[in-house]
Amino acid sequence: MELTPEEEEMLAGKQGYPVQKAMEILVQLGEIYGAAKMIPVSNVHMPGSSVVVAGEAGTRLVEKMAEAKGAFKAFTTLNPAALDFSDWQEIGFSDATFNLQNRLTSAYHKMGAVPCHTCTPYLIGNCPRKGEHVAWGESSAIAFVNSVLGARTNREGGPSALAAALTGRVPAYGYHLEENRFGDVLVELITELHGVSDYGSLGYWVGKKIGDKVPVFTGIPVAVSLEELKSLSAALASSGSVALFHVVGVTPEAPSLEAAFGPRQPSTILKFGPAQMQESLSLLNKNQGQNVSFVAIGCPHASIRELEEISRLLIGKKISSEVDLWVTTSLAMKTLAERTGYAQIIEEAGGRIIIDTCPILAAMSEVLAMKAKGALATNSAKLAHYAPGQWRMPTYFGSLEQCLAAAMEGSFQ
Amino acid sequence: MTEIIHGRKIVGGKAKSEALVSSEPICFLGGVDVKTGKVTEVGHPLEGRSIAGKVLVFPTGKGSTGGSYLIYEAVYNGVGPVAMINREVEQVTAIGCIIAEIPTIDRPDIDPIEVIKDGDLVEVDADVGEIHIISRNRAQTGT
Repeated sequence: MELTPEEEEMLAGKQGYPVQKAMEILVQLGEIYGAAKMIPVSNVHMPGSSVVVAGEAGTRLVEKMAEAKGAFKAFTTLNPAALDFSDWQEIGFSDATFNLQNRLTSAYHKMGAVPCHTCTPYLIGNCPRKGEHVAWGESSAIAFVNSVLGARTNREGGPSALAAALTGRVPAYGYHLEENRFGDVLVELITELHGVSDYGSLGYWVGKKIGDKVPVFTGIPVAVSLEELKSLSAALASSGSVALFHVVGVTPEAPSLEAAFGPRQPSTILKFGPAQMQESLSLLNKNQGQNVSFVAIGCPHASIRELEEISRLLIGKKISSEVDLWVTTSLAMKTLAERTGYAQIIEEAGGRIIIDTCPILAAMSEVLAMKAKGALATNSAKLAHYAPGQWRMPTYFGSLEQCLAAAMEGSFQ
Repeated sequence: MTEIIHGRKIVGGKAKSEALVSSEPICFLGGVDVKTGKVTEVGHPLEGRSIAGKVLVFPTGKGSTGGSYLIYEAVYNGVGPVAMINREVEQVTAIGCIIAEIPTIDRPDIDPIEVIKDGDLVEVDADVGEIHIISRNRAQTGT
């Protein structure tokens, strides 16, 4: 691997221990994947920002870097934490989780990260352009930034994103190279989809079929919403490890089918119609007709438009006293929802707007006692995928309307 | 007789233990409890089994990028695998193995998921990219 004189200095420890350790990880990674050189990255989105993921061991590693005067060379945003910093005690998170999370967040902050704690950094000011090299973690955000924005990242795990932030470099391999960004599999959409849950079903079914390949979709209308693409991204990266997809006529690297496949030919052609939709729904609904006790919306974090939609469906309504409704989002979106009045409507109906965290990355075991009496209902294919394994909760997956109706009635129709 | 599989070193080191083989990819967030080492993903072929102290054989990683720290945490908690063998290592798993110093091999010349069976005693010498199947699990029939 060819390093510049500055990168050689980093590796030799001339810029201190954190940069040296970080460069060692990146060189090792570059060697595994046959990278010829390092490339500068304009920004980093940091997975491993929740102590549910980083744990005591990861927290110590990050603290060690901060104590050794590590300073991020790249603009860095943080993925969700294990709790809501504004309201953690009332929600029921423990002092122990707060203390550990506070240590982790403080260490990242000290090195220069923006502690925004969201999985949708592209909604709050970290929104790279086509062709920018970035180092992002968070599987749903990776698929979104590569595909919808056309920036370039590999699937960064916590330690490699940390290394990229400390050095401002990533090894040049994988999705950073143009030749690896063409489509592998053609997916023809032959049914109409409506709303984020339908796009979640599509993504879930495709991810399960193709693993880590690059799918190219046809039949998705140009009017597809940002929220639907966010949901598609998250689902593709849950059942599989898809990091990049193209939508012909919609995403920046797919003005045409030919452009999306480049020199490649589709290895497989899949069709997604009503039968495949049914198959996906049956994979995502893991329940035996139990009552609903927990409804979770906002995975990935809700946009302002989703908060508006939720408030419109809840205006003048009351959710069941047997049900907890969580709407997870970022601090920035919640602030905007307070200004617009959406937040007040959701709260008056009995829902709760949770920031900084989400049901997947929160220390849920501490707050699940009441929620776990029954089943979970969600419009997120990603959450429906993870919940049964993480908390052993029966799960309903359906549209936003179905989920909010379940919140009001305590049962899913 | 010892059977030898050759592959590519991802993380160096040596380990010897019983194999735990999965035909499906593994996700370490939500898929594995890093306090106990048990696989928790519903419907996964290894559901309920423990990865602790095993030579873990699986096709590749999938899902959350939180996986790297969770592999590190599992090892820190004493319930991590002692070695990993993948058909093709994916980055989240590779980085977890680098920081947790788990000997790891991928791209074996023979499909390890076909050849290595649950409970076989396996020695991994990742420094030279070799996997030695030392003895077969007696409980299985054939071979």
